[in-house]
Amino acid sequence: MLAANPYLISLQGVEVSYPKNGNGDSGRSVILNNVRLNIRAGEFLSLVGPTGCGKSTILRLILGAQFPTRGQVLVDGQPVSGVDRDRGVVFQRYSLFPHLTVVENIAYGPLLERTSMPQRLLYTPAYRRIRRESLAEAREYLVRIGLNPWDGDKFPYELSGGMQQRVAIAQALMMQPKILLMDEPFGALDHNTRLAMQLLILDQWEDYRMTIIFVTHDLEEACYVGTRVIGLSQYWSDDEGKPGVGAVIVTDLPTPGGHPKPTAIRATAEFNALLEQVRHDALDPANRQRLQQFNLFHQDALKPEPLSAAKVSEAKEGTDA
Amino acid sequence: MRSFFRTDAQPSGVATWLLSILLFGLLIGAYLAGSYYRHQENPQDKVMPTVSEMLDGLKRAAFEPDRNGDLRLWIDTLASARRFGIAIGVVLLAIPLGVGMGLFPYVEAVFYRFIVFFDKIPALSVLPILFIIFGLDELSKIALIVIGVFPTVALEAHLRAKSIPREQIHKAQTLGASEPEIAYRIVMPQIFPKMLETIRLNLKAAMLLLIAGESLAATVGLGYRIFVVRRYVAMDIIIPYVLWMTGLLFLTDWFIQWVIRRRYVWVDK
Amino acid sequence: MSQVRSLVAALVVAVLAVTALPSLALAKDKFTLAVSIYAGWMPWYYAKDHGILKKWAERYKITIDAVEMDYIPSVEAFVAGKVDAAVMTNMEALAMPAKSGIDTTVVIVGDYSNGNDALLVRGIPDVKGLKGTEVYLVELSVSHYLLARALEMHGVKESELKVVNTSDSDIAPAFIANKNQKAVVTWNPMVMSIEQTPGVSKIFDSSKIPGEVLDLLVVNTKVLSDDPRFAEALVGAWYEVMSLMSQRGPEADKAMTAMAQRSNTSLNEYKAQLRTTAMFWTPEAASDYTRGTEIKDKMDFVRIFCFKYGLFGENARSVDVIGISYPDGTVQGDSRNVKLRYDTRFVDKAKIGQLRQN
Repeated sequence: MLAANPYLISLQGVEVSYPKNGNGDSGRSVILNNVRLNIRAGEFLSLVGPTGCGKSTILRLILGAQFPTRGQVLVDGQPVSGVDRDRGVVFQRYSLFPHLTVVENIAYGPLLERTSMPQRLLYTPAYRRIRRESLAEAREYLVRIGLNPWDGDKFPYELSGGMQQRVAIAQALMMQPKILLMDEPFGALDHNTRLAMQLLILDQWEDYRMTIIFVTHDLEEACYVGTRVIGLSQYWSDDEGKPGVGAVIVTDLPTPGGHPKPTAIRATAEFNALLEQVRHDALDPANRQRLQQFNLFHQDALKPEPLSAAKVSEAKEGTDA
Repeated sequence: MRSFFRTDAQPSGVATWLLSILLFGLLIGAYLAGSYYRHQENPQDKVMPTVSEMLDGLKRAAFEPDRNGDLRLWIDTLASARRFGIAIGVVLLAIPLGVGMGLFPYVEAVFYRFIVFFDKIPALSVLPILFIIFGLDELSKIALIVIGVFPTVALEAHLRAKSIPREQIHKAQTLGASEPEIAYRIVMPQIFPKMLETIRLNLKAAMLLLIAGESLAATVGLGYRIFVVRRYVAMDIIIPYVLWMTGLLFLTDWFIQWVIRRRYVWVDK
Repeated sequence: MSQVRSLVAALVVAVLAVTALPSLALAKDKFTLAVSIYAGWMPWYYAKDHGILKKWAERYKITIDAVEMDYIPSVEAFVAGKVDAAVMTNMEALAMPAKSGIDTTVVIVGDYSNGNDALLVRGIPDVKGLKGTEVYLVELSVSHYLLARALEMHGVKESELKVVNTSDSDIAPAFIANKNQKAVVTWNPMVMSIEQTPGVSKIFDSSKIPGEVLDLLVVNTKVLSDDPRFAEALVGAWYEVMSLMSQRGPEADKAMTAMAQRSNTSLNEYKAQLRTTAMFWTPEAASDYTRGTEIKDKMDFVRIFCFKYGLFGENARSVDVIGISYPDGTVQGDSRNVKLRYDTRFVDKAKIGQLRQN
C-alpha cells in the first residue's frame, strides 16, 4: 500500500459507455470519457454540468450502484464493490420510506446496526427496548434539523417537500457516513426553502466534516456551498478541434470565502466572476474549449486524457464478453 | 334532458339517493308483479316466491332444524366461511412470494413462468381434475380457490415490487439493510395495503370458485345448499341464500376497505 | 320537459310490449318436448332424427319440436312452463312439477328401472355394513331414493351414515380414482363404468325394487286438455319406435346402433343398459301396468319418500298434500289437489289401433 494516500475518493480512467443499438457494431455511446478525479477527505465538492451529462452517473459510481465500463472507482484505496453503510445518499425524490413515521425513518439505520435479525423477527423485549431508545434519540435529533419533536410521529406524506428533505438528510447523517452523496437534493424546493436547506447542510458539514459530493444544476448554490466546484460537460473539443465524445471534467476550481462561509459572499464580485467562469466553461454549448484551455486550477485537479470515439469502440471490442 | 348529461351537475343529496334506488325499485317491482301474476295462475307456484314466502324460507333455514337437526343457514355459513378463510390465508403467502420475484432475479427466474401458466388456466376447468386427484372433500375445494386467486396476487405483488423506485432500495442499502431486510421490511410493507385491495377485488372470483367447488361434492355449505334445494325448486330458500351471500360479500369488502383506511393511512398519499 | 314525457311514454310502451310477448307466443299449433339422455329415452332421439316424430306431427297437423337438454334443466323447463312435455321419472314428476302446482299428466309409462340404478361399494359386504360410511350420490334424486329403500329394507337408518351430495357429471370419475371412497349410488351408464373397476362390487340395485322407479312421458295437463292432438302424436311416434326395436333382427339392430351412437355408447353397451331397463314394449303392456294395483303400491313408497325428505315443500303437513289420480278414478292423497294424473286414454287408443294412420 502507498504511504499516506491523501485522497479518500479516486476515479481512475473511468469510462461509462453503452453499446449503440445493442449490437456493438455501430460503436458505443459514451457518457463519461476516461474521467480522472481525486477528492480529499472533508471536501465539500459541488458537481455541475448540463442536463444529462453524467453527473448522477458519477454519483452512482461512487455510491456503488453502478460500475464503470472501464477504469476504477476507489474509496479509501479499495475499489467500490457495492452500496453500503460507508456512503450515505440523499436523492431529490423518494428519499423516505412512506410507510414509516419520521422518527422511524431516522432511526432506521441505527436500529439495524444495534439489533440482529432474530431479535427483530421475534420482537424480543431487548429489541423493543432498543427501539424505544433509538426512536427517542431520533426525536431529539429533529431539533437539530429544524423540525419540532411532535413532527416525529408524522408520516412523510404529511410533510412539505422541504421538511421531507430535512428528514432525509437526518436519516443519512445518523449513520455518520464518511461520504455523503447528494443528487440535486433541493431541486424540487422553492427558493427560500432552498436557501434554508443550504445553510442546514453547511451546518451539518461543519459539525461532522464528512466528505460531501453535491450534484446540482443551480450554479449559485454550487459555488456557495462547495469548497470546490467541478464542471462536467460534453461541450469540449479534442486537440484537433473535433467535438469531443462523452463528458469530461472541463473545469475544477476552488471557491472563495473561508468557512463558515458568510451568505454575504454571494454578492461579491469574486463570487460572481467564478459563477460566470463556470457557466461559460461547462454550460455553454457554443463554447467548446480545447483540452489545453480547461480551467483546472484546484490543487487536486487532474488533466483529462479522453479517448477518441474510435479508440473507445475498438479497445472495447477486444474485451467484450 | 340536457340537464341530465351535464358534467358539472350537482344533484342534491335527496335526488342522488332517489335516483340510486330507482333501478332497485324497478327490479323489485318487476319481480313482485311477476310473482303476483304467477300466483294468480297457480297459487302453489314455486318459481317466483312472494316476499312472505321468502321470509318464511329464511326463517326455516335460520331457526328451524332440518331433517338432520341442523340449523342450515348457520352451519352452511360456517362451513363456507371456513373454506374461504383458509384459502385466503394461503393466498396471502402469494405476497411475499411476489415480492421475492420482483426483487430477486433468481427467484423470478424460478417462479415467474410457472405462476403465469397457472394464472392463465381457467380455474373452473381444473375442478374435475382436482376432485379426481385430491378426492371430494375440503382439500379440493380450498385448492380450487387458491389456484384461481393465488397467481393473480403473486403477479400483482411482483409488478409492484418491481416498480419500487431504485432510489429507495439504494437508500436502504446505505442504511445497512441486507437484501432480505429490504424485501420484507421495506418493500413488502409498502405494497401490502395495495395487495389487500387486490384481494378485495378478487373476492368475487374466490366466491365463485367456492360455490363451484361446493356444488360438486359437499355435505354442507352455502353453495351446496343452493344446489340441493334446487332439486325441489325451493326458490324461497335459494333467493334468500343468494341475498345472504351477497350481503356477506359486501361486508367483507367494506371491512377490508376499512382496515386499509385505518391501519395504512399513508397509502396513496 | 316534453323530452321527459316522451321518454316516459317510450318506457311504458316498452314495458307493455315485453309483458305482452309471452301471450303472443302461445298460438298453439307448435308444441315442445324436452328430452334428455337415458337408455329408456333414446327412442325419442331416434324418432326425432329419423323423421318419425315429424311424420306423426304432420298427421295431426301440428308441429312438435324436440329439445335436447340435461335432465334436471329439462324438468325445470317443464315446471316453468317453457316446454309442453318432458321425459322424467315418477319421483321427479311428483317432486317438481306436481309439487309446484303444475298439473301434470302421465301419458306414457315407458319402462321401470330394473338394475339401472345401483349402490356400489369397495370392501363393504352388505347394506348393513354401510353404517358410518360416506355415501356419494346426487342428494334427493332417484339415487337417494334407492339408498333410502335399501336402508329401509335392511333396517339401517340414514342417520347412521353420511350422505355426500355429488354432482352427477363427476361422480363416476371421482369414485374410480379415489380408492378411499367406499360407497356410491348412481345410474347408468355410470354404473357400468364403475362396476368394471377392480375391487368394486354391487350390493343393491333397482331390480330389488322393481316398478318403483318409473320412466315416464308427461304432458302439461292444461296443454293436453286444450288440444289432445299433441299427446296422440307423441304416443304414435313412441310405439312405432318401440315395435321397431322389439322385433329382433337387423332392422332393430340398426335402430339401436343409431341410439347407442347418440348416447355415446357402443351397441353392446346400449343393449346391456336395455337389459336392466324393463321396457313396456307394447301399448298393451303399458296400459295393463298403469291400470293395475301394483303401480299404486309402488307410488306409495315414492310419495312417502318425497314427503319425508321435504320434497313436497318444507311446510307440507302430510304425505297426502298432493293428489295422484289413476285411470280407474282412485286418488292417492288430497282429491281436491290432484296434480299428477296417470292417464291411459292415448295408450289405449294405440292399443286398439285408433290412432291416425296418415
